[in-house]
Amino acid sequence: MKKFLNILLQICILFIFSYIGAVIHNLFHLVIPGSIIGLLLLFICLCLKIVPVKYIENGAGFLLSTLMLFFIPSTVGIMNYPSLLSIQGALLVAAILLSTIITIAIAGTASQFFEKKAQERKDDKECSKFSSHSA
Amino acid sequence: MQQILFAFCMILLTIVVYFLMTRIYKRYSYSFLIPVLTATTLIIVILSVFHIPYKSYMIGGQWISSLLGPSVVALAYPLYKQRHFLINNLFSILGGVLIGAISGMVSIGLLAKIIGINQTLILSIIPKSLTTPVAIEVTKGLGGNVSMAIVGVMVAGIFGAIAAPTIFKIMRVYSPVGRGIALGSASHAMGTSKAAEYSELTFSMSSVTMTLSAIIGSFLGPIVVWIFHI
Repeated sequence: MKKFLNILLQICILFIFSYIGAVIHNLFHLVIPGSIIGLLLLFICLCLKIVPVKYIENGAGFLLSTLMLFFIPSTVGIMNYPSLLSIQGALLVAAILLSTIITIAIAGTASQFFEKKAQERKDDKECSKFSSHSA
Repeated sequence: MQQILFAFCMILLTIVVYFLMTRIYKRYSYSFLIPVLTATTLIIVILSVFHIPYKSYMIGGQWISSLLGPSVVALAYPLYKQRHFLINNLFSILGGVLIGAISGMVSIGLLAKIIGINQTLILSIIPKSLTTPVAIEVTKGLGGNVSMAIVGVMVAGIFGAIAAPTIFKIMRVYSPVGRGIALGSASHAMGTSKAAEYSELTFSMSSVTMTLSAIIGSFLGPIVVWIFHI
């Protein structure tokens, strides 16, 4: 029971951050969603130790573990669009598949390249340190 | 009073169906049995059988949906836990995530435009590589359709996790960093759970990438739409 109340209270804290984000979003007419602003605010607060991690960790863990449940009501909305089971729907799915392949290929190759570059730079630094030492 | 009772029944229905489907998924663990897919189908069948329109269902459903906002905020927690890891690999992660996010959004935007899909649908699938709660928000902001966005996210997630190993082989992506970033930026949470099968490092990479993609993607979405006149 105590644990349940603890989680509930922590979810309330997360709600407050999401609400503040929404207020900022509306106030400045930003295109970035309010919840993302809330995420960034919470991250900054955690890093600056304004909000201790133990105030949100149970609530965050609970929400993230049951995340799938929260988008089911929105997914059910697909029942209003039976036209998706048509040729256009199939084409759309094909476009998503192709785009996913492209993304994985490009992101994977690029990141591997960046990693190698970063590694080389690190090696260079160590090398120059070593050579200056020996000189 | 009757409406409150009805709303309560809809909430209960969603939760019960969800947990039932989660148990089935854990027992058989085929990727096409993911609870979102099966639970959604079952709820649609139940609603159709009892002639309940979606609008009435959402009287209860909106209460469950309202937890999406705090869930997005909650993503700050895993990001915070991995902050040291993030700082140590800042250059490769940021570069990879940025390129991944751009290629994901631009490729789907162009492909959909070439095929000639209508504007609302394109706007709904632009954020398909972002994690669902964020994709929902981004789609709303762009003026797309939320249900369609979720379908796009699911397709990208499931397919990415299935196809990734083959793509890695063809493109010779062997490093855990490259694999993690590719999975996280193309297939969000499902890619991340696939990444966990490779190694601890691949998993951390993928989960950090997923969160960063969500943040970068919410900035990038409107820009891509604006540049390509979608």
